[in-house]
Amino acid sequence: MNQNSLSPELLQKAVHSLPEDNLSNMRLEAADRFSNMGFPVKGSEDWKYTDLSQIADLTSQWLNGSMQENAVDRENHNTKIVKSVTDSIDAHWIVVRDGVIDSDITEPHGTTIKKISAVNKKIVTGNDAMSVFNAALLRDGIHITAATPLKKPIGILYIDGPSSVITQNRAIIEIEEECQLQLVECCLSAGIGKQFTNTVTDFLIAAEASVNYVRIQDRDFEHTSVNRVNALLEKNTIFNHNGFDLGGALTRNDIVTEIAGKDALVNLNGLYLASAEQHIDNHTNIIHTVGPSTSTEEYRGILSGDSQCVFNGRVFVAEGADGTDSNQYNHNLLLSERAEIDTKPELEIYADDVKCAHGATVGQLDESALFYLRSRGLNLEESQRVLTHAFASGTLSKLAVGACYDYLTDLLDNRLELLVGAAG
Amino acid sequence: MLEIENLKATIAEEQVLSGLDLSVNAGEIHAIMGPNGSGKSSLAQVIVGHADYEVIEGSVEYQGHNLLELEPEDRAREGIFLGFQYPVEIPGVNNAYLLKAAVNAKRKHQGQDEIDAFEFLKLAKKTMELLDMDQSFLNRGVNEGFSGGEKKRNEILQMAMLEPKLAILDETDSGLDIDALKAVANGVNSLRHSERAIVLVTHYQRLLDYIEPDYVHVLWEGRIILSGDKALAHKLEENGYEWVRTTVSS
Repeated sequence: MNQNSLSPELLQKAVHSLPEDNLSNMRLEAADRFSNMGFPVKGSEDWKYTDLSQIADLTSQWLNGSMQENAVDRENHNTKIVKSVTDSIDAHWIVVRDGVIDSDITEPHGTTIKKISAVNKKIVTGNDAMSVFNAALLRDGIHITAATPLKKPIGILYIDGPSSVITQNRAIIEIEEECQLQLVECCLSAGIGKQFTNTVTDFLIAAEASVNYVRIQDRDFEHTSVNRVNALLEKNTIFNHNGFDLGGALTRNDIVTEIAGKDALVNLNGLYLASAEQHIDNHTNIIHTVGPSTSTEEYRGILSGDSQCVFNGRVFVAEGADGTDSNQYNHNLLLSERAEIDTKPELEIYADDVKCAHGATVGQLDESALFYLRSRGLNLEESQRVLTHAFASGTLSKLAVGACYDYLTDLLDNRLELLVGAAG
Repeated sequence: MLEIENLKATIAEEQVLSGLDLSVNAGEIHAIMGPNGSGKSSLAQVIVGHADYEVIEGSVEYQGHNLLELEPEDRAREGIFLGFQYPVEIPGVNNAYLLKAAVNAKRKHQGQDEIDAFEFLKLAKKTMELLDMDQSFLNRGVNEGFSGGEKKRNEILQMAMLEPKLAILDETDSGLDIDALKAVANGVNSLRHSERAIVLVTHYQRLLDYIEPDYVHVLWEGRIILSGDKALAHKLEENGYEWVRTTVSS
């Protein structure tokens, strides 16, 4: 038990209030486990810089039933958001509101999309506290099996609240042999107010298959989210990931990829834009169980105001995983003297024939480039904006799903405008 | 157009200009020569307003106004252009984007409409042909991965698009092979105009074989110690800079 624990009785009560279905046993078991774990405590090994104590408090209040619902014109908001996203990104969309999956799912040819409760398979719950918490309070999740490549990506749109304060999202995505899947995930808020969303996504990538996955998080500035992605790669597979974190008060991402087959390739790319008091924490973990295999990673961050960001990139090369080739970079642009980045590579290598490179940079805008632009007639603010865009544009050039390029460019343009305007 | 009187400036508390006088009129080409460390590049940087330099005495008037109180971008919009000795590489910023943004910043300052996209491309392509530059340079990052010669051509391209009243070219000839030098000189000569002044900052006489100056000045320890016509450049080439010092002091 720790100070971030919940009352076991209240947690049980909340689990029992969910409808009886295939997931009931999983929930009860997970609730039991979570009661012994509690939320991660700041300062513990994986949570050195990120503090979930407010989330523990918020969850307790919510379980107590003492939370006021944040009043907002939900219906109207939801419709607008859904329309703006689905109009901009051409995809087969699945909409999930407050952890509840919209019923009108159409399955593209060769792909099955079902609720997890409707799939007769045992759900594997991870061992970390947040995955266990997710399993305890999960209403339902999405189960996708991709057997045939589609022209358009599949899209998952997670819209939160404000009718639900604490939300669990879960997606399990199986990609069958030789299939290619494009997936776009958008995480947005339908209202303002304190909320917490906990999402777990699993990718099971069978031999010769590939996944191109773009995740865009642009939630409300009071929102907290914890997000875990697990990818398991069999032989000769590719997992391309682009994460974009623009919103949220506190955001924590854990991207865990395990290379279990030879000649697999993992590309993890991320961009985080933080201003005011935002906190964005990216933990990645690339496990090379076998070699030869390759992983590349590039995360870029732009920080202004009093924001704080964390990058922790672990690369693990198991004994015998010879021929592993891995490189990892984290570049940060600080637009304010008060912004803080804690960046740490973590290499654990137990094989002999391995190439691993890593590097991290933290800096301000290049003064000579600023002066060069000003000497051509661009004013100071415009020059700052141009250089900040240039810094961010590196991640767009590696975008794994082309269909969301325009949407992202607009989103980034607007956000960078604010960031440069609020710098200092 | 440009009147510099008794200009003294420092960088990091070290004096680099020590009482420099220079007068440049429209239509003229001036060459400023001098050994390394004589203050040539410092003069260019002070005129365009680099923040690392501090003017401690003297005045710089441009078109009758005090130039020193203007921000760098306002100097540019008023028609001053510096061709950098070391053009900066800016990955992620498209060359065409910068050209267009620069042209429009100036037009806006002068109360004109933004340049039409078609007109812009036509002008850019025409100028690139003159400079023997491949059009693909428009879509590359500003100076990103450009060779020395390509960077200098790119500076002249910007100059041509911006049509400055006063152009200062800092060591535009350094590091150029003969073909690049000819292309750059060709570009500069095409921009000679009765309403435009050009100041060439150079270490060697070589550039002046291709761009003929009206005046040649010798800069020494932060001051102009000798001025003359293009014959002076040849004399320098023959006798070296040490000759100037003995001539002036005797």
